[in-house]
This record gives sequence, structure tokens and C-alpha cells, in this order.
Amino acid sequence: MSHRLKFTCSLILVLVLWLLNISLGSISIPIGSLLERLAGVPFPRDSWEIIVMDYRIPKSITAILAGIALSVSGLQMQTFFRNPLAGPFVLGISSGAGLGVALLAMAGTAFGWQLFAGTASYWSVILASSAGAIGVLVLMGLAAWKVKDSMTLLIVGLMFGSAASAIVTLLSFFSADEELKMFTLWSMGNLGNTGWSELGLLSGAILIGLTLVIFSVKSYNAMLLGEAYAKSMGINFQKLRWIMIVSTGILTGGITAFCGPIAFIGISVPHLARLLFKTNEHRILFPATAILGVLILLACDTLAQLPGYASSLPINAVTTAFGAPLIIWLIMKRNFSEAF
Amino acid sequence: MDTSQNKNRPANPCIHAKNLVLGYAIGKQAVPVASGISFELYNGELTCLMGPNGIGKSTLLKAIMNQNPPINGDIWFGEKMGSQMNESDRARNIAVVLTEKIRSGLMTVRELVALGRTPHTGLWGHLSAADNAFVNQVLEMTHLDVIAEKKLSQLSDGQRQTAMIARAMAQDSRIMILDEPTAHLDLTNRFEIMYLLKKLAKDADKAILVVTHDLEVAMETAAQLWIMANQEPLVSGSPEDLMLEGHIQKLLPGNKWEIDARNGKIRLKNPRVLPEIAGPEHLTYWVKNALRKNIEMPLPEKLAVTENPFKITFCKNHEHFAFSRTSELVRFLKK
Repeated sequence: MSHRLKFTCSLILVLVLWLLNISLGSISIPIGSLLERLAGVPFPRDSWEIIVMDYRIPKSITAILAGIALSVSGLQMQTFFRNPLAGPFVLGISSGAGLGVALLAMAGTAFGWQLFAGTASYWSVILASSAGAIGVLVLMGLAAWKVKDSMTLLIVGLMFGSAASAIVTLLSFFSADEELKMFTLWSMGNLGNTGWSELGLLSGAILIGLTLVIFSVKSYNAMLLGEAYAKSMGINFQKLRWIMIVSTGILTGGITAFCGPIAFIGISVPHLARLLFKTNEHRILFPATAILGVLILLACDTLAQLPGYASSLPINAVTTAFGAPLIIWLIMKRNFSEAF
Repeated sequence: MDTSQNKNRPANPCIHAKNLVLGYAIGKQAVPVASGISFELYNGELTCLMGPNGIGKSTLLKAIMNQNPPINGDIWFGEKMGSQMNESDRARNIAVVLTEKIRSGLMTVRELVALGRTPHTGLWGHLSAADNAFVNQVLEMTHLDVIAEKKLSQLSDGQRQTAMIARAMAQDSRIMILDEPTAHLDLTNRFEIMYLLKKLAKDADKAILVVTHDLEVAMETAAQLWIMANQEPLVSGSPEDLMLEGHIQKLLPGNKWEIDARNGKIRLKNPRVLPEIAGPEHLTYWVKNALRKNIEMPLPEKLAVTENPFKITFCKNHEHFAFSRTSELVRFLKK
């Protein structure tokens, strides 16, 4: 199968899944009505208009953006560090964001402060998580300034993450039940919190992050041979390192701020793309990773909506529970380490 | 230096340096590794850099690649000073083959070679028609065109190394530097790779510098040898001259090993004199080899070897002994 055909198939699948994603849920809306609405015929019921336009479409767009952002930054990390276990969160972004939200939600009881009266508002969660992610990224930046070795940078990132998680654990130990539940819910990930106004901001941020990646695609191809060869071919390694830190910060940090830490997509989708597209060429691999990320996250979100039930499952549980067996099967079937 | 040799050479070396001090900076302190390093590298020649581990060969390579600039002194690329070149300038001047193993199994040979065009392509790394033609030419030159579409994970070690060399060729630099390119290859591949490099140096008029521990192959293929040994300044010259002038022997410090001046092979130094062996030389050589390996056993004073049928004979206490294999002789003598 040629790359063009694979891309076409994936794109068709994405469209089908997108329609399904909008149609299925606690209230099922027939795809026929959706297509008619697209052609200008109003829905037979007014409530459908609200459900689709204000809830389901923004949520599906969030899923699409998150799928692109997380898997592209995962691929970026895996190539930059030449490590198949790297993912978008290795620089400690999710732990930093988690620390921010934990401080917001739980510091009240732990330290006896009263930051907010009542429950934390939606925007304050976004601000807290961004602040935490940016804080960790600034620390990583300082570390990157000091150490020149990329493996050291990877370890420093993991250590920052562990340290942040330790503080979160301490905070949860001392916090009240209500606050702990709020934090736990945040850490399960949620694609449904973003409305149209937030989507504008999120997609702007992701566009900036993606542009940075697109303009360094040549450097990432050279990085396939490792740092020393890339340098010998005239790649400005220090510049690439800053691009990598900033773009991952924007892509992953942005998604984590609005949706919480979405697990699994970032590490697994790049492997899936390499296995299905059988190439290491980043001009193919970046779009392939993006489209497969969208595919997987849309599919997981559709499953999470539990057609026929009033509630929906946490997205993190679904991505891992349904995605992991798929990836394990693929990895066992084909020679994954050779493909890396 | 020999003046007759200089006649065949281009007038100007493509890299030269005088009295470099090489080393590392640990904290703010400079730790010198090697000093008094002077050299000239010429286009069209294969040059082999030899020396024991830890003598500063890699430091010298890193200095030329500007990854670890010299503590003192400058390296000149023609009229340009190495420390003042920018990355893309350097990439057009030097291509490298390093010791680290690359692990991108899905990449095809052609894709790998095409990556060599990186310093010449635009923002997106798109290959122009000229770039593609150059890649094809390199694939043909290195005889990789038949396996151009194979994935790297399907190649043998020798093919993989040839592909890495082809990638460096595609970079179209005047200088190519290879760090132990034959280290884990079998005998035939070691020669194949070095003869390929020799041919490329000549056909493409490149200056090729190879770090190797393989004296035998280097003696056979190199136009120039650079020897770094015993904290002495770098010595350069043709392999034959360096052998005759006794410089190659410096590669083996101490009393344990020596170099056979007739064929450049390394062997244990003989504490005892070997017996005289009469017979055709291609046979006596291997009989001597067998005796040398077991030098501690009692040896007869004289031996004779005959061909067709192969026989080793000697006399001891008026008794005649004959053997049809060297191993039989050794077994007998050990008793």
C-alpha cells in the first residue's frame, strides 16, 4: 500500500469516526439528521441543536487537537532522545501541571490557607496547571543550559517529574475528601470541558507548536542518526533542543491545561505510525502520527461516551484499557525494536 | 620529508596544523592530552592515524571536527581557520563515519545515503534532481545500487558500514574522517572497506583520514600514516618509510611484542633463537610460526622441510625423525 492510500484510508476513517463520535452518546442522534443539519435542515428537536453545537462538536474538536498535539510531541521526543520509551511527558510537564492543580485544589487544608472560597473554577484550574507546567519547563530550560548531554536532560526531566509527584502525594495525604476527588477527576483527563471560546485559544497555541515542529522536520530526519552525526551534517543542535523544549511545552502543556494529563497516546501512537507506515522519514511520519493520534483519541472518546448510558467514562481509563492491548498486539506481531 | 614524494601531491594541504596542544577542559582547568601535534592532510590520499588507546586520537578527530577545539594552536582548512567556520560550512568540508551504531531499522540504504545531502538541501530537506543524481552516483560507486531499497535492519555489518561511508560520500565534502570503520568486520570486509576508501580518495580527490588499529590493512592501503605514540609528537610519512625508519615499532611499547620487519605483522618477541630451517620459504614460514608459538619446548638445532609430499625432518642423536604435519612435530617435541 502506498503512503497516499494509507493517508486516504486514515482520513476516511477519521471522518466516519468523527460523525459517530458526534452521533453517539447518552442521547443518540442519527447520522442522517447530522448530515441534514449540515445541509441546512434544522434538527427535529431543539435540544439536539444544543447538545451537538455546544457540547459534542467542541468536545470532538478538542479530541482531534489533543490527538495531534500529544502524538506529534511524542514522536518529537522519541526522535530527539533516540529513546523508544520517551513521550510528551518526559520533561515533567504533566507532573508540573498536576502539582499546580494539586496546590490549587488541596493546599487549602494542607497548609491551612483559603485560596478560593468553595470549589475551584474552571479557569483557575487552567491557570494553575499552566503555571505548574511552565514552572517545570523553566527549570528544564535552566538544566538544558547547564548540561549539554541529552541523556542527562532526559534523566533530569524524569527526576523533576518524580519530585513534583512526591509533593502531590504529600498534599493528597493531608487534603479533605472533596478536594482529593476534584484532583483525582482532573488527573483522569477530560475532553468535554472546552467550549468554543477556549477552543480558539487552544487551537492557536497548537498551531504555533506545530509550526515549530514543521520547520525542524529536516533536523529531525538528521537526528535519526544520533546527535553526533546530526551535528556533523550541519544541524544546529542547540537550536533544535530549544525548539523541542518550547514546542513540546506549548503542545503538551496546552492540552494538559485544558484536558488534564491524557495518558498513553503520546508514547504509543508514534510506534503505531512507524509500524503501519514502515518508514522513519519524518516528512511522512509527522502527518501519519498526527492522523493516527486523531483516529485513536476519537475512537477512545466515542467508547467513553457509553452509548445509551447517562454518564461517560474517564478518557484516560479508555485510552489505556483499549489502546494498550492494540499496541501490545502490534508490537508482538511485528519487530518493533527494529522499526524504531 | 621526502621531496620526491611531494612532487605528486597537490601544492597545498587541505588541512594543516602546527604544534597543537589537545585536551579537555575539566571545570576551568585545561587538561592536556597530547601536545606538539603538527600535520598536513592532502586531497587524493588515504591517511591512516594509528596509536595506542588513550593517546589522543579521538581528541585529535574531535579537534578537527571542532567538537573539542584545541587548547592551543589553530587548525587550518586551506585559508580558513577551523574555529571560525560555522556549522554548515564545516558540514560541507568534513563528513564523518563514527563508531556509534545507528538504529533506524526502517530506513532504506537510499534514504540513509540521501541524508548525506542534508547540508546541501533547503529548509524542508527536499532532494532536487541534482541531489538525486548525486545519490545515485554514490550508490553506484560503492556498489550499493543493487541493495539500495533494502532496509538497514536487513544488512550485514559490512554492507551497513559501506552504507555509512556512502552517506559520508553523499555529503560531498573535501575531507572524510572515519573512526575505526573496520573495527567489527571480518578479514575480507576489512580489506574491502579500506580498498574502497583508497579508491574513493583517488577517484573523488578526497582527503580521507582513517583511525585504525589494523596495522596490516593500513600498511597495505594507506598512502600516508600518522603515528601517535608515547607522548611524542605526531610522526607522518609513507608506511614503508616509517617502517624502515623504525617509527612503526614505537606502536608497540615495552619488550613483549615486536613487528616482523619483512611483512609488518605483530608477534611475540623471541626470547630464544629459532632453529635453522631449510626448504622453500612459503613452507618454512609456517613451520617457524608453529615453533615460535611453542618456544618453551626443547628445539632441535636444524630442520628441513620438503614439498610434495610435505615433510618435516630432523636429526637428533643420529636418529632421523619425519612428520607430515606441523602439529605432529609440535606434539613430538613437547614430549
